[in-house]
Amino acid sequence: MEVISVQQLSRHYGQRRGIDAVDLSVKSGEIFGFLGPNGAGKTTTIRILLGLLKPSHGTSRIFDLDCWAQSATIKQQVGYLPGDLRLYPWFTGNNALKVVGQVRGQELQSHGRELLKRFHLDGSVPVRKMSRGMRQKLGIMLALAHKPQLVILDEPTSGLDPLMCDELYRCLRERAAEGATVFFSSHTLSEVELLCQRVAIVRSGRIVANESMEELRRQAHRAVMLRFRGDAAKSIETPDFLEIEERTGQVWRGELIGTTTQFMAWAATQPLEDLAVSPPSLESLFRRYYEREEELA
Amino acid sequence: MRGLLRKTLLETWVQLLLFGSALLLVAGLLTMMLPQLEEGLNQVLVTLPFVRKFIQALLGDDLGANINSQSLQAIIWVHPTILALVWAQEIVFCTRVPAGEIDRGTIDVLLSWPVSRRKLFCAESMVWLASGVWLCLILLAGHVVARQVVVSSTSHSWRSVLLVLGNLYSMYAAVGGVAFFISSLSDRRGRAMATVFGLVLASFLLNFLAQFWPSAEILAPLGVLNYYRPAQILATGSVPFADVAILWGVAVCAWVVALETFARRSICTL
Repeated sequence: MEVISVQQLSRHYGQRRGIDAVDLSVKSGEIFGFLGPNGAGKTTTIRILLGLLKPSHGTSRIFDLDCWAQSATIKQQVGYLPGDLRLYPWFTGNNALKVVGQVRGQELQSHGRELLKRFHLDGSVPVRKMSRGMRQKLGIMLALAHKPQLVILDEPTSGLDPLMCDELYRCLRERAAEGATVFFSSHTLSEVELLCQRVAIVRSGRIVANESMEELRRQAHRAVMLRFRGDAAKSIETPDFLEIEERTGQVWRGELIGTTTQFMAWAATQPLEDLAVSPPSLESLFRRYYEREEELA
Repeated sequence: MRGLLRKTLLETWVQLLLFGSALLLVAGLLTMMLPQLEEGLNQVLVTLPFVRKFIQALLGDDLGANINSQSLQAIIWVHPTILALVWAQEIVFCTRVPAGEIDRGTIDVLLSWPVSRRKLFCAESMVWLASGVWLCLILLAGHVVARQVVVSSTSHSWRSVLLVLGNLYSMYAAVGGVAFFISSLSDRRGRAMATVFGLVLASFLLNFLAQFWPSAEILAPLGVLNYYRPAQILATGSVPFADVAILWGVAVCAWVVALETFARRSICTL
Protein backbone atom coordinates (compact mmCIF):
# COMPACT_ATOMS: atom_id res chain seq x y z
CA MET A 1 0.00 0.00 0.00
CA GLU A 2 1.27 3.46 -0.91
CA VAL A 3 1.43 5.86 2.01
CA ILE A 4 2.84 8.80 0.05
CA SER A 5 2.03 9.29 -3.57
CA VAL A 6 3.31 12.34 -5.42
CA GLN A 7 2.80 12.88 -9.14
CA GLN A 8 4.25 15.59 -11.33
CA LEU A 9 4.46 17.90 -8.34
CA SER A 10 5.75 21.40 -9.03
CA ARG A 11 6.00 24.48 -6.93
CA HIS A 12 7.34 27.84 -8.04
CA TYR A 13 8.15 30.84 -5.88
CA GLY A 14 7.46 33.59 -8.41
CA GLN A 15 10.16 33.19 -11.07
CA ARG A 16 12.21 30.87 -8.88
CA ARG A 17 11.71 27.14 -9.16
CA GLY A 18 11.16 25.22 -5.92
CA ILE A 19 10.49 21.74 -7.30
CA ASP A 20 9.66 20.58 -10.78
CA ALA A 21 7.63 17.54 -11.87
CA VAL A 22 8.51 15.45 -8.82
CA ASP A 23 7.22 11.86 -8.76
CA LEU A 24 7.50 9.87 -5.55
CA SER A 25 5.93 6.82 -4.08
CA VAL A 26 6.57 5.59 -0.55
CA LYS A 27 5.16 2.28 0.60
CA SER A 28 3.83 1.37 4.00
CA GLY A 29 6.47 0.29 6.51
CA GLU A 30 9.32 1.70 4.43
CA ILE A 31 12.12 3.90 5.71
CA PHE A 32 12.54 6.24 2.80
CA GLY A 33 15.50 8.56 2.41
CA PHE A 34 15.06 11.86 0.67
CA LEU A 35 18.52 13.03 -0.18
CA GLY A 36 19.80 16.21 -1.70
CA PRO A 37 22.05 19.21 -1.12
CA ASN A 38 20.83 22.39 0.53
CA GLY A 39 18.28 24.21 -1.60
CA ALA A 40 17.53 21.15 -3.75
CA GLY A 41 13.80 21.17 -2.96
CA LYS A 42 13.54 18.68 -0.09
CA THR A 43 11.85 21.07 2.31
CA THR A 44 9.51 22.41 -0.36
CA THR A 45 8.33 18.86 -1.10
CA ILE A 46 7.82 18.18 2.60
CA ARG A 47 5.93 21.44 3.10
CA ILE A 48 3.56 20.49 0.29
CA LEU A 49 3.05 17.07 1.90
CA LEU A 50 2.23 18.81 5.18
CA GLY A 51 -0.29 21.14 3.52
CA LEU A 52 1.72 24.27 4.27
CA LEU A 53 2.30 25.05 0.62
CA LYS A 54 -0.14 24.69 -2.22
CA PRO A 55 1.45 23.04 -5.27
CA SER A 56 1.60 24.97 -8.54
CA HIS A 57 0.96 21.73 -10.46
CA GLY A 58 0.55 18.04 -9.77
CA THR A 59 -0.95 15.98 -6.99
CA SER A 60 0.27 14.89 -3.59
CA ARG A 61 -1.56 12.34 -1.49
CA ILE A 62 -0.93 10.76 1.90
CA PHE A 63 -3.01 7.74 2.99
CA ASP A 64 -4.86 8.37 -0.29
CA LEU A 65 -6.06 11.77 0.97
CA ASP A 66 -5.26 15.06 -0.71
CA CYS A 67 -2.43 16.83 1.11
CA TRP A 68 -3.93 20.30 0.68
CA ALA A 69 -7.67 19.73 1.03
CA GLN A 70 -7.58 17.03 3.72
CA SER A 71 -4.51 18.14 5.56
CA ALA A 72 -6.02 18.17 9.06
CA THR A 73 -7.26 14.57 8.73
CA ILE A 74 -3.90 13.40 7.40
CA LYS A 75 -2.03 14.97 10.31
CA GLN A 76 -3.82 12.80 12.85
CA GLN A 77 -1.49 10.03 11.70
CA VAL A 78 1.57 12.11 10.87
CA GLY A 79 4.49 13.11 13.07
CA TYR A 80 6.57 15.94 11.65
CA LEU A 81 9.88 17.49 12.55
CA PRO A 82 10.64 20.68 10.59
CA GLY A 83 14.15 21.29 9.27
CA ASP A 84 14.42 24.69 10.89
CA LEU A 85 12.71 23.80 14.15
CA ARG A 86 11.27 26.70 16.15
CA LEU A 87 9.33 25.88 19.29
CA TYR A 88 7.32 28.07 21.63
CA PRO A 89 9.69 29.56 24.23
CA TRP A 90 7.35 28.57 27.08
CA PHE A 91 7.21 24.92 25.98
CA THR A 92 8.72 22.37 28.33
CA GLY A 93 8.71 18.65 27.67
CA ASN A 94 5.94 18.20 30.23
CA ASN A 95 3.56 21.01 29.24
CA ALA A 96 4.15 20.40 25.53
CA LEU A 97 2.89 16.84 26.03
CA LYS A 98 -0.21 18.17 27.79
CA VAL A 99 -1.00 20.87 25.20
CA VAL A 100 -0.26 18.76 22.13
CA GLY A 101 -2.08 15.80 23.70
CA GLN A 102 -5.17 17.98 24.16
CA VAL A 103 -4.94 19.29 20.60
CA ARG A 104 -4.56 15.76 19.25
CA GLY A 105 -7.18 14.37 21.59
CA GLN A 106 -4.73 11.66 22.62
CA GLU A 107 -2.95 10.64 25.77
CA LEU A 108 0.73 11.34 25.04
CA GLN A 109 2.12 11.27 28.55
CA SER A 110 3.27 7.65 28.83
CA HIS A 111 5.05 7.31 25.48
CA GLY A 112 6.19 10.94 25.60
CA ARG A 113 7.87 10.48 28.97
CA GLU A 114 9.54 7.31 27.75
CA LEU A 115 10.94 9.28 24.79
CA LEU A 116 12.12 12.07 27.11
CA LYS A 117 14.02 9.46 29.08
CA ARG A 118 15.50 7.84 25.98
CA PHE A 119 16.74 11.21 24.70
CA HIS A 120 17.98 12.30 28.15
CA LEU A 121 15.76 15.37 28.14
CA ASP A 122 14.60 17.11 31.30
CA GLY A 123 10.85 17.65 30.94
CA SER A 124 10.81 20.73 33.14
CA VAL A 125 13.28 22.92 31.22
CA PRO A 126 11.61 25.59 29.05
CA VAL A 127 12.64 25.94 25.42
CA ARG A 128 14.09 29.41 26.01
CA LYS A 129 16.72 27.82 28.26
CA MET A 130 17.49 24.89 25.95
CA SER A 131 20.47 24.39 23.70
CA ARG A 132 19.88 23.68 20.02
CA GLY A 133 20.37 19.97 20.54
CA MET A 134 17.85 19.89 23.39
CA ARG A 135 15.27 21.70 21.26
CA GLN A 136 15.86 19.21 18.49
CA LYS A 137 15.28 16.32 20.92
CA LEU A 138 12.04 17.95 22.12
CA GLY A 139 10.94 18.32 18.50
CA ILE A 140 11.68 14.64 17.86
CA MET A 141 9.78 13.66 20.99
CA LEU A 142 6.74 15.66 19.85
CA ALA A 143 6.90 14.13 16.38
CA LEU A 144 6.94 10.58 17.79
CA ALA A 145 4.91 10.79 21.00
CA HIS A 146 1.56 9.95 19.38
CA LYS A 147 3.00 6.89 17.60
CA PRO A 148 2.19 8.17 14.12
CA GLN A 149 1.70 5.93 11.10
CA LEU A 150 3.87 8.28 9.04
CA VAL A 151 6.91 10.09 10.38
CA ILE A 152 8.25 12.95 8.26
CA LEU A 153 11.60 14.23 9.43
CA ASP A 154 13.42 17.09 7.75
CA GLU A 155 17.14 16.80 8.53
CA PRO A 156 16.45 15.49 12.04
CA THR A 157 20.02 14.86 13.13
CA SER A 158 21.24 18.44 12.83
CA GLY A 159 22.28 19.51 16.30
CA LEU A 160 22.28 15.98 17.72
CA ASP A 161 25.38 14.28 19.06
CA PRO A 162 26.28 10.83 17.60
CA LEU A 163 24.79 8.94 20.56
CA MET A 164 21.46 10.72 20.18
CA CYS A 165 21.58 10.13 16.42
CA ASP A 166 21.87 6.41 17.15
CA GLU A 167 18.93 6.63 19.57
CA LEU A 168 16.88 8.37 16.89
CA TYR A 169 17.73 5.68 14.34
CA ARG A 170 16.67 3.03 16.89
CA CYS A 171 13.35 4.82 17.48
CA LEU A 172 12.69 5.06 13.77
CA ARG A 173 13.53 1.41 13.17
CA GLU A 174 11.12 0.50 15.99
CA ARG A 175 8.37 2.60 14.42
CA ALA A 176 8.99 0.96 11.07
CA ALA A 177 8.93 -2.49 12.69
CA GLU A 178 5.50 -1.61 14.06
CA GLY A 179 4.32 -0.87 10.53
CA ALA A 180 4.84 2.90 10.40
CA THR A 181 6.43 4.62 7.42
CA VAL A 182 9.38 6.95 7.79
CA PHE A 183 10.19 9.73 5.34
CA PHE A 184 13.66 10.91 6.20
CA SER A 185 15.13 13.96 4.55
CA SER A 186 18.85 14.56 4.77
CA HIS A 187 21.86 15.93 2.96
CA THR A 188 24.18 13.44 4.62
CA LEU A 189 24.51 10.23 2.68
CA SER A 190 26.02 8.19 5.50
CA GLU A 191 22.95 8.41 7.74
CA VAL A 192 20.57 7.65 4.90
CA GLU A 193 22.76 4.68 4.00
CA LEU A 194 22.63 3.49 7.58
CA LEU A 195 18.88 3.80 7.98
CA CYS A 196 16.95 3.77 4.74
CA GLN A 197 15.74 0.99 2.49
CA ARG A 198 15.05 3.23 -0.45
CA VAL A 199 16.36 6.60 -1.49
CA ALA A 200 15.31 9.40 -3.79
CA ILE A 201 17.94 11.93 -4.73
CA VAL A 202 16.72 15.40 -5.49
CA ARG A 203 18.75 18.00 -7.27
CA SER A 204 17.67 21.48 -8.40
CA GLY A 205 14.05 20.62 -7.72
CA ARG A 206 14.08 17.40 -9.73
CA ILE A 207 14.33 13.75 -8.75
CA VAL A 208 17.53 12.42 -10.32
CA ALA A 209 17.40 8.95 -8.78
CA ASN A 210 14.83 6.87 -6.97
CA GLU A 211 16.26 3.47 -6.11
CA SER A 212 16.53 0.89 -3.40
CA MET A 213 19.73 0.99 -1.37
CA GLU A 214 20.63 -2.41 -2.85
CA GLU A 215 20.43 -1.01 -6.35
CA LEU A 216 22.43 2.09 -5.43
CA ARG A 217 25.14 -0.04 -3.85
CA ARG A 218 25.25 -2.13 -7.01
CA GLN A 219 25.72 1.01 -9.08
CA ALA A 220 28.36 2.42 -6.76
CA HIS A 221 31.98 2.14 -7.89
CA ARG A 222 35.05 1.09 -5.96
CA ALA A 223 37.82 3.60 -5.44
CA VAL A 224 41.19 2.36 -6.72
CA MET A 225 44.77 3.38 -5.94
CA LEU A 226 47.63 2.01 -8.04
CA ARG A 227 51.36 2.51 -7.37
CA PHE A 228 53.62 1.55 -10.30
CA ARG A 229 57.25 0.53 -10.21
CA GLY A 230 59.77 3.06 -11.56
CA ASP A 231 58.56 5.17 -14.48
CA ALA A 232 56.10 2.56 -15.75
CA ALA A 233 53.08 4.76 -14.94
CA LYS A 234 54.01 7.14 -17.77
CA SER A 235 53.87 4.55 -20.53
CA ILE A 236 50.80 2.54 -19.46
CA GLU A 237 47.51 3.11 -21.26
CA THR A 238 44.38 3.47 -19.12
CA PRO A 239 41.98 0.57 -19.61
CA ASP A 240 38.26 1.22 -20.33
CA PHE A 241 37.11 -0.11 -16.97
CA LEU A 242 39.18 2.39 -15.00
CA GLU A 243 38.38 6.07 -14.65
CA ILE A 244 41.53 7.77 -13.43
CA GLU A 245 40.95 11.09 -11.72
CA GLU A 246 44.47 11.83 -10.47
CA ARG A 247 47.96 10.89 -11.71
CA THR A 248 50.84 11.92 -9.43
CA GLY A 249 54.21 10.43 -10.39
CA GLN A 250 53.94 6.69 -9.82
CA VAL A 251 50.44 6.85 -8.30
CA TRP A 252 47.05 6.68 -10.02
CA ARG A 253 43.80 7.31 -8.18
CA GLY A 254 40.39 6.74 -9.68
CA GLU A 255 37.32 4.52 -9.84
CA LEU A 256 36.68 1.04 -11.06
CA ILE A 257 33.77 1.29 -13.46
CA GLY A 258 34.11 -2.24 -14.82
CA THR A 259 34.00 -5.63 -13.08
CA THR A 260 36.43 -6.75 -10.40
CA THR A 261 37.43 -9.76 -12.54
CA GLN A 262 38.45 -7.50 -15.42
CA PHE A 263 40.49 -5.36 -13.07
CA MET A 264 42.25 -8.31 -11.39
CA ALA A 265 43.18 -9.84 -14.73
CA TRP A 266 44.64 -6.54 -15.94
CA ALA A 267 46.44 -5.76 -12.65
CA ALA A 268 48.21 -9.16 -12.70
CA THR A 269 50.04 -8.14 -15.91
CA GLN A 270 51.10 -4.66 -14.74
CA PRO A 271 54.38 -3.57 -13.08
CA LEU A 272 52.63 -2.71 -9.82
CA GLU A 273 54.31 -2.04 -6.52
CA ASP A 274 51.09 -1.67 -4.52
CA LEU A 275 47.35 -1.39 -5.02
CA ALA A 276 44.31 -0.62 -2.87
CA VAL A 277 40.64 -1.17 -3.68
CA SER A 278 37.98 0.23 -1.34
CA PRO A 279 34.40 -1.03 -0.90
CA PRO A 280 31.76 0.47 -3.23
CA SER A 281 31.37 4.14 -2.38
CA LEU A 282 27.89 5.57 -2.36
CA GLU A 283 29.44 8.96 -1.69
CA SER A 284 31.04 8.98 -5.12
CA LEU A 285 27.80 7.79 -6.73
CA PHE A 286 25.96 10.55 -4.93
CA ARG A 287 28.45 13.13 -6.17
CA ARG A 288 28.23 11.75 -9.68
CA TYR A 289 24.44 12.26 -9.71
CA TYR A 290 24.98 15.87 -8.76
CA GLU A 291 27.74 16.45 -11.26
CA ARG A 292 25.68 14.86 -14.01
CA GLU A 293 22.88 17.27 -13.24
CA GLU A 294 25.25 20.20 -13.21
CA GLU A 295 26.57 19.17 -16.63
CA LEU A 296 23.00 18.87 -17.91
CA ALA A 297 22.19 22.28 -16.49
CA MET B 1 -10.37 23.07 20.41
CA ARG B 2 -9.61 22.94 24.16
CA GLY B 3 -5.93 22.41 23.50
CA LEU B 4 -5.76 25.37 21.16
CA LEU B 5 -7.61 27.60 23.62
CA ARG B 6 -5.24 26.49 26.35
CA LYS B 7 -2.22 27.28 24.17
CA THR B 8 -3.53 30.75 23.30
CA LEU B 9 -4.34 31.52 26.92
CA LEU B 10 -0.95 30.29 28.09
CA GLU B 11 0.68 32.65 25.62
CA THR B 12 -1.47 35.69 26.31
CA TRP B 13 -2.46 35.71 29.97
CA VAL B 14 0.45 37.90 31.03
CA GLN B 15 -0.34 40.40 28.29
CA LEU B 16 -4.03 40.43 29.26
CA LEU B 17 -3.17 40.90 32.90
CA LEU B 18 -0.77 43.77 32.21
CA PHE B 19 -3.09 45.64 29.87
CA GLY B 20 -6.00 44.96 32.21
CA SER B 21 -4.09 46.40 35.18
CA ALA B 22 -3.09 49.48 33.20
CA LEU B 23 -6.69 50.07 32.09
CA LEU B 24 -7.97 49.62 35.63
CA LEU B 25 -5.52 52.22 36.86
CA VAL B 26 -6.12 54.73 34.09
CA ALA B 27 -9.93 54.41 34.22
CA GLY B 28 -9.79 54.87 38.00
CA LEU B 29 -7.52 57.92 37.80
CA LEU B 30 -9.59 59.56 35.09
CA THR B 31 -12.79 59.00 37.06
CA MET B 32 -11.19 60.52 40.15
CA MET B 33 -9.87 63.53 38.25
CA LEU B 34 -13.15 64.40 36.54
CA PRO B 35 -14.82 66.21 39.50
CA GLN B 36 -11.87 68.65 39.60
CA LEU B 37 -12.39 69.37 35.92
CA GLU B 38 -16.13 69.79 36.44
CA GLU B 39 -15.61 72.39 39.19
CA GLY B 40 -13.54 74.78 37.11
CA LEU B 41 -15.17 74.02 33.77
CA ASN B 42 -17.50 77.03 33.45
CA GLN B 43 -14.81 79.46 34.43
CA VAL B 44 -12.36 77.90 32.00
CA LEU B 45 -14.86 77.94 29.12
CA VAL B 46 -15.54 81.66 29.66
CA THR B 47 -11.93 82.74 29.97
CA LEU B 48 -10.48 80.33 27.39
CA PRO B 49 -13.13 79.76 24.69
CA PHE B 50 -10.83 77.58 22.53
CA VAL B 51 -10.95 74.93 25.27
CA ARG B 52 -14.55 74.18 24.22
CA LYS B 53 -13.30 73.34 20.71
CA PHE B 54 -10.50 71.28 22.13
CA ILE B 55 -12.82 69.24 24.33
CA GLN B 56 -15.18 68.73 21.39
CA ALA B 57 -12.27 67.50 19.30
CA LEU B 58 -11.26 65.09 22.03
CA LEU B 59 -14.80 63.80 22.36
CA GLY B 60 -15.14 63.61 18.60
CA ASP B 61 -18.51 65.32 18.75
CA ASP B 62 -19.81 68.76 18.02
CA LEU B 63 -21.83 69.30 21.14
CA GLY B 64 -22.44 73.00 20.47
CA ALA B 65 -23.12 74.69 23.76
CA ASN B 66 -23.93 71.40 25.46
CA ILE B 67 -20.57 70.80 27.08
CA ASN B 68 -21.57 70.05 30.62
CA SER B 69 -20.41 67.82 33.41
CA GLN B 70 -22.51 64.95 31.99
CA SER B 71 -20.87 65.04 28.58
CA LEU B 72 -17.46 65.48 30.21
CA GLN B 73 -17.91 61.98 31.66
CA ALA B 74 -17.23 60.77 28.12
CA ILE B 75 -13.61 61.85 28.44
CA ILE B 76 -12.98 58.68 30.44
CA TRP B 77 -14.06 56.55 27.49
CA VAL B 78 -12.35 58.48 24.70
CA HIS B 79 -9.18 59.44 26.51
CA PRO B 80 -6.17 58.75 24.27
CA THR B 81 -4.55 56.63 27.00
CA ILE B 82 -7.59 54.35 27.21
CA LEU B 83 -7.85 54.05 23.44
CA ALA B 84 -4.10 53.49 23.11
CA LEU B 85 -4.16 50.68 25.69
CA VAL B 86 -7.20 48.96 24.19
CA TRP B 87 -5.82 49.21 20.66
CA ALA B 88 -2.31 48.20 21.65
CA GLN B 89 -3.66 45.08 23.36
CA GLU B 90 -5.66 43.99 20.39
CA ILE B 91 -3.05 44.89 17.79
CA VAL B 92 -0.58 42.70 19.68
CA PHE B 93 -3.18 39.95 20.05
CA CYS B 94 -4.70 39.93 16.57
CA THR B 95 -1.36 39.84 14.74
CA ARG B 96 -0.26 36.65 16.54
CA VAL B 97 -1.83 34.31 13.96
CA PRO B 98 -0.71 33.94 11.29
CA ALA B 99 1.80 36.84 11.01
CA GLY B 100 3.38 36.30 14.45
CA GLU B 101 3.59 32.53 14.07
CA ILE B 102 5.16 32.82 10.62
CA ASP B 103 7.54 35.51 11.79
CA ARG B 104 8.93 33.45 14.67
CA GLY B 105 8.82 30.22 12.65
CA THR B 106 6.51 28.31 15.01
CA ILE B 107 3.79 27.99 12.35
CA ASP B 108 5.46 24.79 11.09
CA VAL B 109 4.91 23.08 14.42
CA LEU B 110 1.46 24.62 14.88
CA LEU B 111 0.25 23.48 11.47
CA SER B 112 1.68 20.00 11.96
CA TRP B 113 -1.09 19.39 14.50
CA PRO B 114 -4.31 17.81 13.25
CA VAL B 115 -6.44 20.93 13.25
CA SER B 116 -7.70 22.86 10.26
CA ARG B 117 -6.53 26.41 9.80
CA ARG B 118 -10.13 27.58 10.16
CA LYS B 119 -10.45 25.88 13.53
CA LEU B 120 -7.15 27.36 14.64
CA PHE B 121 -8.27 30.83 13.59
CA CYS B 122 -11.61 30.41 15.37
CA ALA B 123 -9.88 29.37 18.60
CA GLU B 124 -7.66 32.43 18.42
CA SER B 125 -10.66 34.65 17.70
CA MET B 126 -12.63 33.24 20.63
CA VAL B 127 -9.89 34.26 23.04
CA TRP B 128 -9.67 37.66 21.33
CA LEU B 129 -13.42 38.27 21.78
CA ALA B 130 -13.27 37.06 25.39
CA SER B 131 -10.30 39.32 26.08
CA GLY B 132 -12.34 42.26 24.76
CA VAL B 133 -15.04 41.48 27.31
CA TRP B 134 -12.35 41.27 29.98
CA LEU B 135 -10.93 44.68 29.07
CA CYS B 136 -14.39 46.29 29.07
CA LEU B 137 -15.18 44.78 32.45
CA ILE B 138 -11.85 45.98 33.83
CA LEU B 139 -12.57 49.49 32.57
CA LEU B 140 -15.97 49.37 34.20
CA ALA B 141 -14.45 48.06 37.42
CA GLY B 142 -11.90 50.90 37.48
CA HIS B 143 -14.66 53.43 36.93
CA VAL B 144 -16.98 51.93 39.56
CA VAL B 145 -14.30 51.63 42.23
CA ALA B 146 -13.08 55.20 41.66
CA ARG B 147 -16.64 56.55 41.86
CA GLN B 148 -16.96 55.09 45.32
CA VAL B 149 -13.92 57.12 46.39
CA VAL B 150 -14.69 60.54 44.89
CA VAL B 151 -17.65 62.83 45.42
CA SER B 152 -19.24 64.00 42.19
CA SER B 153 -22.27 66.25 41.67
CA THR B 154 -22.99 64.53 38.33
CA SER B 155 -25.82 62.05 38.25
CA HIS B 156 -24.75 58.67 36.94
CA SER B 157 -26.68 56.44 34.57
CA TRP B 158 -25.40 52.85 34.61
CA ARG B 159 -27.45 52.13 31.53
CA SER B 160 -25.53 54.82 29.59
CA VAL B 161 -22.19 53.52 30.86
CA LEU B 162 -23.07 50.02 29.70
CA LEU B 163 -24.13 51.38 26.32
CA VAL B 164 -20.78 53.16 26.00
CA LEU B 165 -19.01 49.92 26.83
CA GLY B 166 -21.10 48.14 24.20
CA ASN B 167 -20.04 50.78 21.68
CA LEU B 168 -16.41 50.42 22.80
CA TYR B 169 -16.62 46.64 22.41
CA SER B 170 -18.04 47.06 18.89
CA MET B 171 -15.10 49.30 18.03
CA TYR B 172 -12.75 46.73 19.56
CA ALA B 173 -14.31 44.12 17.26
CA ALA B 174 -13.91 46.30 14.16
CA VAL B 175 -10.27 47.15 14.85
CA GLY B 176 -9.51 43.51 15.72
CA GLY B 177 -11.20 42.24 12.55
CA VAL B 178 -9.08 44.57 10.44
CA ALA B 179 -5.95 43.59 12.40
CA PHE B 180 -6.69 39.90 11.74
CA PHE B 181 -7.17 40.68 8.06
CA ILE B 182 -3.82 42.48 7.78
CA SER B 183 -2.15 39.73 9.80
CA SER B 184 -3.56 37.08 7.44
CA LEU B 185 -1.79 38.77 4.53
CA SER B 186 1.53 39.26 6.31
CA ASP B 187 4.62 37.20 7.03
CA ARG B 188 6.10 39.82 9.34
CA ARG B 189 4.36 40.66 12.57
CA GLY B 190 6.09 44.01 12.98
CA ARG B 191 4.87 45.13 9.58
CA ALA B 192 1.32 43.99 10.34
CA MET B 193 1.33 45.77 13.70
CA ALA B 194 2.69 48.96 12.18
CA THR B 195 0.01 48.92 9.46
CA VAL B 196 -2.86 48.50 11.92
CA PHE B 197 -1.35 51.09 14.26
CA GLY B 198 -1.08 53.49 11.31
CA LEU B 199 -4.75 52.93 10.51
CA VAL B 200 -6.04 53.56 14.03
CA LEU B 201 -3.76 56.55 14.43
CA ALA B 202 -5.08 57.99 11.16
CA SER B 203 -8.61 57.35 12.39
CA PHE B 204 -7.88 59.17 15.65
CA LEU B 205 -6.33 62.16 13.89
CA LEU B 206 -9.15 62.29 11.36
CA ASN B 207 -11.71 62.36 14.13
CA PHE B 208 -9.76 65.08 15.91
CA LEU B 209 -9.22 67.22 12.81
CA ALA B 210 -12.82 66.92 11.65
CA GLN B 211 -13.81 69.18 14.56
CA PHE B 212 -11.50 71.98 13.38
CA TRP B 213 -11.26 71.52 9.64
CA PRO B 214 -14.43 71.16 7.55
CA SER B 215 -12.60 69.41 4.67
CA ALA B 216 -11.65 66.55 7.00
CA GLU B 217 -15.31 66.12 7.90
CA ILE B 218 -15.98 64.49 4.52
CA LEU B 219 -13.40 61.80 5.30
CA ALA B 220 -14.50 61.29 8.90
CA PRO B 221 -16.83 58.33 8.11
CA LEU B 222 -13.74 56.38 7.01
CA GLY B 223 -12.38 56.41 10.55
CA VAL B 224 -13.46 53.90 13.15
CA LEU B 225 -13.91 56.61 15.80
CA ASN B 226 -16.68 58.17 13.75
CA TYR B 227 -18.85 55.31 15.01
CA TYR B 228 -17.75 55.48 18.62
CA ARG B 229 -19.81 58.18 20.35
CA PRO B 230 -19.67 58.01 24.14
CA ALA B 231 -20.45 61.73 24.50
CA GLN B 232 -23.72 61.39 22.58
CA ILE B 233 -24.69 58.23 24.42
CA LEU B 234 -24.07 59.83 27.81
CA ALA B 235 -25.84 63.03 26.80
CA THR B 236 -28.94 61.45 25.26
CA GLY B 237 -28.98 57.90 26.60
CA SER B 238 -29.91 56.63 23.13
CA VAL B 239 -28.68 53.32 21.75
CA PRO B 240 -26.32 53.92 18.77
CA PHE B 241 -27.80 51.14 16.61
CA ALA B 242 -26.43 52.43 13.31
CA ASP B 243 -22.89 52.94 14.64
CA VAL B 244 -22.82 49.53 16.28
CA ALA B 245 -24.18 47.88 13.13
CA ILE B 246 -21.49 49.52 10.98
CA LEU B 247 -18.71 48.54 13.41
CA TRP B 248 -19.89 44.93 13.56
CA GLY B 249 -20.33 44.90 9.79
CA VAL B 250 -16.70 45.92 9.36
CA ALA B 251 -15.61 43.43 12.05
CA VAL B 252 -17.45 40.45 10.54
CA CYS B 253 -16.45 41.23 6.92
CA ALA B 254 -12.78 41.74 7.80
CA TRP B 255 -12.73 38.64 10.00
CA VAL B 256 -14.33 36.39 7.37
CA VAL B 257 -11.92 37.62 4.68
CA ALA B 258 -9.03 37.07 7.12
CA LEU B 259 -10.23 33.54 7.88
CA GLU B 260 -10.48 32.60 4.21
CA THR B 261 -7.17 34.25 3.34
CA PHE B 262 -5.40 32.31 6.08
CA ALA B 263 -7.13 29.05 5.13
CA ARG B 264 -6.18 29.35 1.46
CA ARG B 265 -2.71 30.87 1.46
CA SER B 266 0.57 29.05 1.13
CA ILE B 267 2.74 29.46 4.17
CA CYS B 268 6.43 29.82 3.70
CA THR B 269 8.93 30.40 6.48
CA LEU B 270 11.98 29.71 4.34
